[in-house]
Amino acid sequence: MPAPIDYSKLRIVPDFDTAEWWAAAREHKYLVRQCPDCGHKWFPPIFPACARCGSLKPGWFQTAGKGVIHSYVVVVQPIVGAFIGTVPYVVAIIELDDCREAGGSVTRVAGVMLDDEPEVAIGLPCEVVYEETADPRIVMPRWRVSGSAANVWRFNE
Amino acid sequence: MGSLTDKYCIVGVGETPHMRPSNRTTLSMACEAVSKAVADAGLKLSDIDGMTSYQIGDSTTSPHVATALGMRLNYAVDILGGGSSGEALVAHAIGLIEAGYCKTMVIFRSMNGRSGRRMGGQTPGGPVPVAVAEGDGQFNMGWGWTTPAQRFGMSAMRYLRDTGCTTKAFAEIAVAHRYHASLNPKAIHRNPIAIEDHQRSRWIVKPFRLLDCCQETDVSVAIVVTSRERAFDLRHPPVFIMGGYARTLTDSPQWNYSRDEIHYVAGNYGWKRAFGMAGISHKDVDFVSCYDAFTFTTLIQLEANGFCRKGEAGEFVKGGRLRIDRELPSNLSGGHLSEGYTHGVQMVIENVRQLRHRADDACPGWAEGRHTYDRKAGCRQLRKADICCGMGWGWENMASCLILRGIAA
Ligand SMILES: [Zn+2]
Repeated sequence: MPAPIDYSKLRIVPDFDTAEWWAAAREHKYLVRQCPDCGHKWFPPIFPACARCGSLKPGWFQTAGKGVIHSYVVVVQPIVGAFIGTVPYVVAIIELDDCREAGGSVTRVAGVMLDDEPEVAIGLPCEVVYEETADPRIVMPRWRVSGSAANVWRFNE
Repeated sequence: MGSLTDKYCIVGVGETPHMRPSNRTTLSMACEAVSKAVADAGLKLSDIDGMTSYQIGDSTTSPHVATALGMRLNYAVDILGGGSSGEALVAHAIGLIEAGYCKTMVIFRSMNGRSGRRMGGQTPGGPVPVAVAEGDGQFNMGWGWTTPAQRFGMSAMRYLRDTGCTTKAFAEIAVAHRYHASLNPKAIHRNPIAIEDHQRSRWIVKPFRLLDCCQETDVSVAIVVTSRERAFDLRHPPVFIMGGYARTLTDSPQWNYSRDEIHYVAGNYGWKRAFGMAGISHKDVDFVSCYDAFTFTTLIQLEANGFCRKGEAGEFVKGGRLRIDRELPSNLSGGHLSEGYTHGVQMVIENVRQLRHRADDACPGWAEGRHTYDRKAGCRQLRKADICCGMGWGWENMASCLILRGIAA
């Protein structure tokens, strides 16, 4: 498990489009946007319109926070100050299980894994966990590998 | 462009030296680059009546440069935009001149990309300030996932998994572009490297090593665009604009990383427009340039723009194929990886110099177009440089392109 993230060096500033997302995370709920007109889901919530039908009144969908690792990077050289002591850490893109749409559209989210690089692979199932930060208003979702899979791929260089 | 193909030309190019640091303002550097590009065209500053630039909130503006240099402009607009904006502004210039808004236009980019705002961020040292995550940053900074290397690495990793390609293909690009830089007196890294040097360089963010990443520099670059009627009277052989595409976007279900295939980049459909406008096919192209912010961005652009089949770019670049005197020379100045980082414009500049047959190399007669073609003696002019395809990159889902030809084609 990578060393802790120094959240005292990070200030998240929710805005009018994202305040409800951060409020839900505080209650350990993982939201994605969902269009009430056509059902399309998306992430991140900074986008205030539905890319499928153009609706300007997006709602929310609460996911179970389970998915499959679609890709990942291993950050070795830190850039954001809060992560100086955290390197190396894995950032993954996760394809959410309950956000696959009939048209083939998928919703992917991203986050920092709790697992070290050798434990992570494309194709592995994972789940969200919640981490307190230095700011009582902000709870940060992290992800951890939650099982095994037949077809996985690891970067071995 | 169709009916406008070959009707507009790039007639002047200029740049300041790549510095780390420049110890200059972006306005001071822009004035020098604009003056040099105008002089290179054989024009006076008073002959220029249009100016435009792009930036990301890190630079000066056209009105500042025009005021400083005493230029009276008929058109001046600056845009916010990342890589691949230079080619887009060439398209603007064509439209503006065609419409009569101005006659001859200079396009510049000026940035203290090393000593000022760095694209790749600054590795923390000393006391660490609190980082503020707002807007897009709410959903990447809190995950320590902010820099282009960290972001593009996500697509690169999936590409390696999907295609079976390895980072040795990345190394091929680093090696080829560095070899070209070794022939370029202006480049900041001129020591040739081997595949093993790339493979041994330290990790930045897996799957990228140090030698996968470009060299941030302080620099300003400028190009001059005008009509072919004016171009023929000027100092150098004209370089004709045959076609292109400008900041095309892929279908993006809200977010780049939710696209079905995250390494499907915008060139995939853009190239059909560019080659259609130009009326050429890939086999007519003598050399290319690729926005090499990273080795991987070159690799994926070659594939996206149809120079090889899908998933085969790793094989395609093997064995030095992108080197001068080989099948498809790429980034003959050394590019972002080895010459320095200009946010894309230096590729256009080098392509123009090659197409004029006036690459500023070590040959005593280069300024008159006389070259030795002896690479050991430092000649980097291609023997046959008639048509070039320049590929620009903004993000995985955003791309530009400029197909140019010299007077011989
Ligand atoms: Zn909708």
